[in-house]
Amino acid sequence: MTDLLTIDYLRDYLLVGAALFALGMLGFLSRRNLIVMFLSAEMMLQGTALSLIALSRYHGNWNGQVFTIVILTVAACEAAIALALIMILYNRRASLDITLWHELREEAAPAVVPALEEAATAELVEAIEGPETYPSLTPAGLEPEHPIQPWTERRR
Amino acid sequence: MAGFFVQYVWLIPLFPLLGGLIGGFGATRLRFNAALPLAIGLAASFLFSLGAWMSAGPETTIVVSKWLAAGSFVVPIELRVDGLSTLMVSMVTFVSTLVVIFASGYMAGDPSYPRFFAFVGLFVFSMTGLVLSNNYLLTYAFWEGVGVCSYLLIGFWYARNSAADAAMKAFLVNRLGDIGFAIAIFWLWTIVPNNDLSYTNVLADETLRNLPDSARIGIPLLLFWAATAKSAQLPLYVWLPDAMEGPTPVSALIHAATMVTAGVYLIARSTAMIALAPGVQVLICVIGCATALLAAAIALTQNDLKRVMAYSTVSQLGYMFMALGAGVGGVAQLAVVAAIFHLFTHAFFKALLFLASGSVMHSMGDVIDMRRFGGLRHRLPYTCWTFAIGGLALAGIFPMAGFFSKDEILLALAAAPEAAHAAGASWGWVYGLIYWLALLTAFMTAFYTGRAFFMTFWGPEKLPSPDDPEAPRGDGHVVEGDDPGHGHHHVGEESAPIMTIPLMILAGCAVVVGVLFGSTGWLEHHLEGMFGFEGLGHSEHQFGWGTPILGMVAGLAGIALSYLLYAEPNPAPARLASTFRPLYRASLNKFYVDEIYQWTVMKILWVGAAVLRFLDIEFVERTIVGIATAPRAIGRNALAVYQNGLIQFYAAASAVSIAVLLLFLLFS
Repeated sequence: MTDLLTIDYLRDYLLVGAALFALGMLGFLSRRNLIVMFLSAEMMLQGTALSLIALSRYHGNWNGQVFTIVILTVAACEAAIALALIMILYNRRASLDITLWHELREEAAPAVVPALEEAATAELVEAIEGPETYPSLTPAGLEPEHPIQPWTERRR
Repeated sequence: MAGFFVQYVWLIPLFPLLGGLIGGFGATRLRFNAALPLAIGLAASFLFSLGAWMSAGPETTIVVSKWLAAGSFVVPIELRVDGLSTLMVSMVTFVSTLVVIFASGYMAGDPSYPRFFAFVGLFVFSMTGLVLSNNYLLTYAFWEGVGVCSYLLIGFWYARNSAADAAMKAFLVNRLGDIGFAIAIFWLWTIVPNNDLSYTNVLADETLRNLPDSARIGIPLLLFWAATAKSAQLPLYVWLPDAMEGPTPVSALIHAATMVTAGVYLIARSTAMIALAPGVQVLICVIGCATALLAAAIALTQNDLKRVMAYSTVSQLGYMFMALGAGVGGVAQLAVVAAIFHLFTHAFFKALLFLASGSVMHSMGDVIDMRRFGGLRHRLPYTCWTFAIGGLALAGIFPMAGFFSKDEILLALAAAPEAAHAAGASWGWVYGLIYWLALLTAFMTAFYTGRAFFMTFWGPEKLPSPDDPEAPRGDGHVVEGDDPGHGHHHVGEESAPIMTIPLMILAGCAVVVGVLFGSTGWLEHHLEGMFGFEGLGHSEHQFGWGTPILGMVAGLAGIALSYLLYAEPNPAPARLASTFRPLYRASLNKFYVDEIYQWTVMKILWVGAAVLRFLDIEFVERTIVGIATAPRAIGRNALAVYQNGLIQFYAAASAVSIAVLLLFLLFS
């Protein structure tokens, strides 16, 4: 690690990192698709990692880089668990919409998305025979369709 | 070798505890052998006590382990092996061994047989711990321990209402006294150096010299308050006669020989401190005298054999307090020796008398009213003669044990006026008066003892029968067939050897301990090994023939009078009773002390409780309920809205919070 970053380079790196982080957070907060939210969370992690690496290079010690490697490992584990969870959730409601899952709210509190109240309390769909289809991403910028897609949608 | 018994002195409390636990937890397997482990444990403890007796020294202490440590306040489990504690512990283990052997026969057939011995084991553990501990706080812990055991054992036949009530009464009255002990400990803690409550520290000359004046009077008063409850003195003696509802071995062990002497022990142990307050000493003496006289007066007319013995115990405890109270100035050493000596001999002969009463009760099918039996001397020869020896010792007839110890108390009382005068006190004449009242008490003691003996064992033979005109009254005590307790054998037969042999051993002790320990000066010599004994005032007392002869004459006169009145069926007692009818009624009804308490203290307490209940419901509860509605309303109306279950809302909330926190950190 002989050639340290100059302050100008550092600034650029940090800007990119911050932008990644901010975009990720924005995505996490605004999108309702579980997979997109997961990807946004990953993006926030990458933004942080980039800042760490840049600062590590700037200061000339390895801590930031080591830390980044740990972050990558954790992110891999998290991806495995999160995707598995998303699979289970999708199988229960046949949709990736996050707002279908708000059972943890206070009972007295009103449902935030009234239209979904009915959907959330609807009977869980039963699994049917045959090869399963897998969830697909909703195109970016489009609102997911409501209420629940019929089960046949999975076979599309 | 000497060091061995001091090193392992902690085994003395441990053996009975283990024996009791084995008997208690092995109840289903052992059943009627449950007394065996306890008896073995007690015998082992007695042997260890004897070993400790040989190696006792005024400064010998041993730290067993640490008990409490809070900052500078440290209470180790420290045992003191000095003259007083070894004497007490030997007496306790010896008497309890014999009582347990007696009880193994007496309680046979009781469905809760193992439970009894588990409780007795726990009791002996607490009692030996009490006398061995070297710390006021540890003593207090064991003091409560014996109180609990007393409660458990009085209420042993808890299905019987009278027993349950008596147990509760004993427990509550004892709590009243324990308050005094607790406050005394708190007070001591604030004034002694290093907050160290060990006897070594509290009773050291240095500490005592620096006591503030208020504590010099107050702490002895509080300690005596505690002693009045535990040792059944006025005004808190009322629980002891009722405690006779427990099984007779319990009455013998706890309510005659050991636990009730804990108060005497406490005062004797603290004599160095109490000697600094002559005013308190004269109060102790007066209360002891009043108790002795009152209890003896009640015992004169009681018809229940165990109740006579109970009041006699109260009276004799009063005697011990008279002795302790007489320890002014130069008499201090003599007084402590006299009190402890009487405690020591009293344990033997009163345990003997109680066990003999139990034996009578056992043979009579649980009838204890003396009017319903009589002339038992041929049917119960062993019981009769052992009772006679115990009675003579209680009456103070030479050469029985009671003679020597009572004589010593009278000597202390006789020497007290002069000593009080020398110490500059103006109340020396009180001791002179008490001396004569003590002699009167001795006369009454001899009389009621003789009365109990002659009514039970002399005269024409008579066994309890349901046709007896006295039978339905029952004196509030056991009615035949009502007893859930021990097994029945044939009415009118002498008890089994397992019960008579302990009686004989105790009778032997009642004869010899006085001569052996008193006249040879052995006991006094042993007590010189008591911590702080050297520092007590002492002066030469020349021996006079006057006091022993007066005491003896009082005893003989009492016995002679009781022989004249009760040995043969005789109309004289009834005539006397009708002549002095108000006095007779008052004595028979225990001078209405219980009723007076019921109408004064209890009423005041009821009113207080009603007021407090009103305040509690109307004010305290309403305030608290009112305050509790506020968080509920806030939570429901303001905060619950934000718990909407949406992950993104939570994420946004935490992002905003962190942003605000960062801004705050950046710009502050």
